[in-house]
Amino acid sequence: MESTRDSPVPPTPALTARPVVGPPPRRRLRQILEAYALLTPSLVGFVLFLVAPIIGVVVISFFDWNLMGSPRFVGLANYREMMGDSEVWRSVRNTLYYVALNIPAQTVLALLLALAMNRRLRGGKVIRVLFVLPWMAMPVALGIIWNWAFDPEHGAVNQFLSLLGISGPEWLSSTTWAMPVLASINVWQYTGYTMLFLLAGLQAIPESLYEAADIDGVTGFQRFFRITLPLLRPSMLFVLVTNVIGSFQMFDTVYVMTQGGPNGSTDTLNFHIYQQAFQLFRTGYASAIAMLLFALILLVTAAQFLYFRKRTVYDFS
Amino acid sequence: MSARSRRVLATAATGALLVGFTAACSSSGSDSAGGKVTLRYGIWDAVQQPALQKSIDAFEEAHPNITVKIELNAWAQYWSKLQTQMAGRSAPDVFWDHVGYFPQFAKQGVLTDLSPYIKADKVDLSVYDPKLTAGWKQGDKQYGLPKDWDTIEQVYNKTMLKTAGLTEADLSGLTWNPDDGGTFVKALQKLTLDENGKHPDETGFDSKNVKQYGLALASPNGQTDWWDFATQNGCKLQDKAWGKWTIDQPSCVQAIQFIQDLRLKYHVAVPAAVTNTPNGAALPAVLARKQTAVVWDGSWDLSAYQTSLKGNFGVALLPSGPAGQGTVYNGLSNALYAGSKHPKEAWELVKWLGSEQSEKIITAAGTVWPSIPTLNKDFVAAWKKQGVDVSAFAKGAEGTTIGYPLTTTSSTYNVKVLDPFNQVWLGKQTPQKAADTVNSASNAAVN
Amino acid sequence: MRTHRTITTAFGRTGLYVVLIAGALLSIGPYLMTLNAAFKRPQDLLSTNAWTPAHPATFGNFADVWNQYGMSSFLAHTLFVTVVVTLGQVVFSAMGAYAFARLEFPGRDLLFWGYIATMMVPQMITLVPLFLMMRQLGLVDTFAGLILPTVFGTPYGIFLVRQHFRTIPKDLEAAARIDGAGTWTILVKIMLPLSKPILATLATITFINTWNNLIWPLIITNSDRTKVITVGISALQGQHVSDLPHIVLAGAALALLPLIAVFLMFQRHIVRSIALTGLK
Repeated sequence: MESTRDSPVPPTPALTARPVVGPPPRRRLRQILEAYALLTPSLVGFVLFLVAPIIGVVVISFFDWNLMGSPRFVGLANYREMMGDSEVWRSVRNTLYYVALNIPAQTVLALLLALAMNRRLRGGKVIRVLFVLPWMAMPVALGIIWNWAFDPEHGAVNQFLSLLGISGPEWLSSTTWAMPVLASINVWQYTGYTMLFLLAGLQAIPESLYEAADIDGVTGFQRFFRITLPLLRPSMLFVLVTNVIGSFQMFDTVYVMTQGGPNGSTDTLNFHIYQQAFQLFRTGYASAIAMLLFALILLVTAAQFLYFRKRTVYDFS
Repeated sequence: MSARSRRVLATAATGALLVGFTAACSSSGSDSAGGKVTLRYGIWDAVQQPALQKSIDAFEEAHPNITVKIELNAWAQYWSKLQTQMAGRSAPDVFWDHVGYFPQFAKQGVLTDLSPYIKADKVDLSVYDPKLTAGWKQGDKQYGLPKDWDTIEQVYNKTMLKTAGLTEADLSGLTWNPDDGGTFVKALQKLTLDENGKHPDETGFDSKNVKQYGLALASPNGQTDWWDFATQNGCKLQDKAWGKWTIDQPSCVQAIQFIQDLRLKYHVAVPAAVTNTPNGAALPAVLARKQTAVVWDGSWDLSAYQTSLKGNFGVALLPSGPAGQGTVYNGLSNALYAGSKHPKEAWELVKWLGSEQSEKIITAAGTVWPSIPTLNKDFVAAWKKQGVDVSAFAKGAEGTTIGYPLTTTSSTYNVKVLDPFNQVWLGKQTPQKAADTVNSASNAAVN
Repeated sequence: MRTHRTITTAFGRTGLYVVLIAGALLSIGPYLMTLNAAFKRPQDLLSTNAWTPAHPATFGNFADVWNQYGMSSFLAHTLFVTVVVTLGQVVFSAMGAYAFARLEFPGRDLLFWGYIATMMVPQMITLVPLFLMMRQLGLVDTFAGLILPTVFGTPYGIFLVRQHFRTIPKDLEAAARIDGAGTWTILVKIMLPLSKPILATLATITFINTWNNLIWPLIITNSDRTKVITVGISALQGQHVSDLPHIVLAGAALALLPLIAVFLMFQRHIVRSIALTGLK
């Protein structure tokens, strides 16, 4: 992916003077060998522990298997059933809803947080640790704590709301609120973590650019939208792609807090896969649904890469 | 060799070293070196582990060539892990089996039929409660030795009962009916108070601000709530053992309706939003924080009540319904994995765990009732020492009971039942509709 | 010092601190409740509200977790596995990331896409074939089985470092090549020193994710000999969640401490001191 620019910074001579001709052939061969040498360890892991199991999943999706007996070949039957399974499509909608609730909120909050933390602050180090703590805590304990917190009568959330005179809803028993609750918990858990990346990205923007902008009399707003945001895009791309991929695969919170209810409103694709594979003894069908989830994530991620490809600056010199 | 290639080689070497190092740290996996056999025993309850370990220590003393390693996994992950292990033919040699999964396992051939071993070693099965032994039989194959039993009864807070002017005898002799709730609802009304101290049958009762309820119910599939009411109403969950589900019958639906009424009509039961699985507070927690005076729970939870209430609780019989008494009577077994590499030694372990000596050790700890009825008194004694009379469980077991449904579609039922019934308890679905949905979905399962 | 003119007024700065502190409190609130609960006696745990302070407070739960429930050995196992995986990840991901970021070879973009694509299939289902493969290799219930799947670098790590490498000016490398430096030298002498923050970030993230990993260790280990802390603690949940919440919470609280230590240790590298600039 070539680097294009759309920033107001004048290009340096070194870059624009570079010829378009590639390196000499012998040099090219050497580069290829070096590349593969560097890649070998991760390739080993990639092929053995990532690609091979995925091929396994694809193969299993053409079988009917309950893990205990022998697999039985069924061809495309699983896929055909999946297309007509209203519960699967409900899961798709639920998952998309969850991602839509989760990612924008998380990203915006993390960005604001990173901007706020990108300065000399008294106690900044401590505050940073505190924000990252939610991501570091063990999920099993958090499940217990959050179920307590959202108890409609004795939980912290509704008790706090009643102090403000608001009678809180039934949260996890309400079809309206269950998914937003799960999304908020995820936002709570990952905002600090996302902030770290964006903060690192902000720190990578050279001070000289801002100084030049100051000299030109650029306003704070312009500075943010014309310099900061564009130059933050490599970090943004990373954060969005990885968070979206993770968001589509959310499982723990559903498992501990709602088991897909109430009334199927929090039945996400990954939870559905788990149920089919491990509670209903249908590993083959679960594998087919996993392929659907994969296709969905692939689509969304490809769209993100396309959007960012045209707009991203990589080289800040 | 150039500096660069040296570096690359160094990296590759480091990588290889890492792999080699970790591989060396891995176990040799030899579980039968020099005549010694190591057996793996899968369980899911950490509370029972200490007593089990004592029993296993005794077993290892008697069998110096066998070592037993307990593998504890939480219930939430036990079955998925077990199945994955079975897929890889590496499940534990002996493991706890549950009636909900046993039919599937038997069908898939992952359990060893114990009858040849029982016959060869002349094991006397009559020491066990016949209901329990029958639960692990299919045809003339015996797929496990009974390990324990449990029933559902009423657990109550002693102080709260006293304050309301009721005794345990009062609580044990109640009756209910679908029309007006009977003496059962009357008693619960005495135990229910709103913020102003009013009972539900008094004018001015504020159902939105209840300080204390009479009853709390919760169950992911019905075992500790509606199955019991259903039995008391003459409902049969299945047409016959290994048969079809029949929970859409009027007698069953009536019982489910009655529970919905307890919450939404009589206001004597804790709201479902507080107790619904999985987000709801566990029954011991609801009792401990005095939100309810009585819960319906299984004998497996006794330690949890003891931890939070320290002897300030008691056990009373469930009420009788229109068809009389009734409770769910269930038990686990120790199963022998069909893929075990040491079936003979594993059988020795299963035999030991089902023996009176082993059960005596375990029952003395008071964690579960024994599968050998003559040892029941030991369990009662263990709890008497802690100040609690648990004999109501045994009394209920002697009365009318139904077993956990025996069917290969149990797993489907357990998955399908949670959400619709949660909706019923919240008042957002009718009992008939929920029962119909769950019944047809469970019976349609092609397992 | 960055002077964002948007917030220089005293009111603005105070407001900022208030918001940040409120946010920080919200972040750690649930953890404080976990800690609070871990200090409560078992009989008080279920009968008091989560925010009611533990009184009388007890260390008994922590002592039990450590001694009675074997957490000390589980912690040791977890530490070993996590350190090895973190080392491997950082080294191998950096290597692979450089190849993707700066070297040209056929299939580069396709391979990179392949790496990213593997992140899109849920671990929930890939663990079945992976487990079967490990079983064939005889690596069930071994440390190798725990370590191998991620020690060679992950797509996530490669993606992260590659994004960072691409922001380093090409001139530096061009100059070095003119001086006759080879690829490896450039990577080690130029790219890595400039990437301390991102490598520290990757190390921290890998450490914490490996430490908190539950599903794979659960499936691949059986005995106490290889058990890690997440599996050990969740095994205490029991069939009816109420069984041992005080132990579970005490264990979770304990398990968090090393992570905080690691984070603090790496923190000063993760976020460079503001005095540094991007270019030399």
